[in-house]
Amino acid sequence: MRAYDPLVKQLLDGELTLAELPPELQAEGSEALRLLAAVDRRAVMLPETLDARVMDALRTRARTVSLTRRSLGWITEPWELRLRVRPWALGAALAAAAALVLVLRGPGGTISKQGPAATASALPESLLVRFVLYAPGAKQVGLAGTFNQWNQSATPLVRAGSDGVWTVTLTLPAGQHQYGFVVDGRRWVTDPAAPAVDDGFGRRNSVIAVGGTVRAGRVL
Amino acid sequence: MTTPRCGVLVFAAVACAGPLAAQGDVTARLVGRVPPAVVAAVRVLADSAAARGLPADPLVDKAIEGGAKGVAPERVVAAVRMVFGELDAAATAIRAGRVAIPDGETIEAGAFALAAGMAGPQVTELVRLSTDPYPPAATLRVAGTLTALGVPAPQTVELVRETIQSGRSGADLLALPAKLQSRVARGASPAQAAAGLARPDDARGPTPGQGKPDKGYPPRNPHRP
Repeated sequence: MRAYDPLVKQLLDGELTLAELPPELQAEGSEALRLLAAVDRRAVMLPETLDARVMDALRTRARTVSLTRRSLGWITEPWELRLRVRPWALGAALAAAAALVLVLRGPGGTISKQGPAATASALPESLLVRFVLYAPGAKQVGLAGTFNQWNQSATPLVRAGSDGVWTVTLTLPAGQHQYGFVVDGRRWVTDPAAPAVDDGFGRRNSVIAVGGTVRAGRVL
Repeated sequence: MTTPRCGVLVFAAVACAGPLAAQGDVTARLVGRVPPAVVAAVRVLADSAAARGLPADPLVDKAIEGGAKGVAPERVVAAVRMVFGELDAAATAIRAGRVAIPDGETIEAGAFALAAGMAGPQVTELVRLSTDPYPPAATLRVAGTLTALGVPAPQTVELVRETIQSGRSGADLLALPAKLQSRVARGASPAQAAAGLARPDDARGPTPGQGKPDKGYPPRNPHRP
């Protein structure tokens, strides 16, 4: 466990330059800057062979499943239906759909609004987001926010090497989320790489906006 | 008379169904996470929010956050009240921007902008600027994020105005915070970075194959937003 001098922490926060540190702290400051510069901040890239490996694993698993379970699965699992629409059939299909609508409406009847639009909106766009915290002295680090009901233990970060860098990658739904890191189960830390707002309890929450397209009047 | 009574009862049941369901939802989300007194207080506030057309989820989220952070019950309730006030102020400001019945998403975005440091009239101005294809919620979120990153609120409004009125795309608008962070990471102050983004050529960034020369900022410090 390593505790940096407060002046070195100010250096890491960009409040001081290396030249402004006392001579006896310059070596420590240089080392801390080197460790920060070594943090891998590249986007997470999945290997190209991942698809093939996952499919192989699924096929292997499917071969080992018992006949009973396969039979049950045949009944309960969703089927894939492939429909090919031919031009000459399109008119007939539209007529049939119109007739179905009329039958369902009946005299003064209504139709449920849970159509394809509702299904689509129930499938929010989500993205993989990588969170990184430099906490060299920490024994454990958790990520808590609006996306996990502020549960400190729901999303633990893992050490990335031995340089005090902790990281976790998770899928977040589109939208705006507030969060914080919890170091050693008691100390709340904001993300130094994200904007922050007052949390109403005397601390600050980091903010992340997931998604980035404006589509049909909705923010995704 | 049986029929009118039945009608009244049915009407009352239908009218109460929504709020009661909302109360049940609030209670279910909070029980076990915060003390019973906080549950009761948040239920009352959630009912008031629903009656005023405000979203109740941010109130419940704030209570859960307070519970998770080990905050004293009275302080949790105070924070939830503060969120209620921000939502109400945001809804008022948004309505003043000619959105008669703002949806929950827009109100939440307005409350975020207020919490980030913007004033009600600035929220109103941003809503007025948000003509198609810029949804008010997107504009308010972007503006709130810029302000949270340290751009003075009046300058944020001007930057958003420049972006929208110069006809840039919605994606350009949403990309403003990331571009600002990039410039700040290279040594510019938030105000300087925002001023640079307000210039159309700078905000669009280099086109493919036409990179801009480096402006000589010091190397990025990844530990600082």
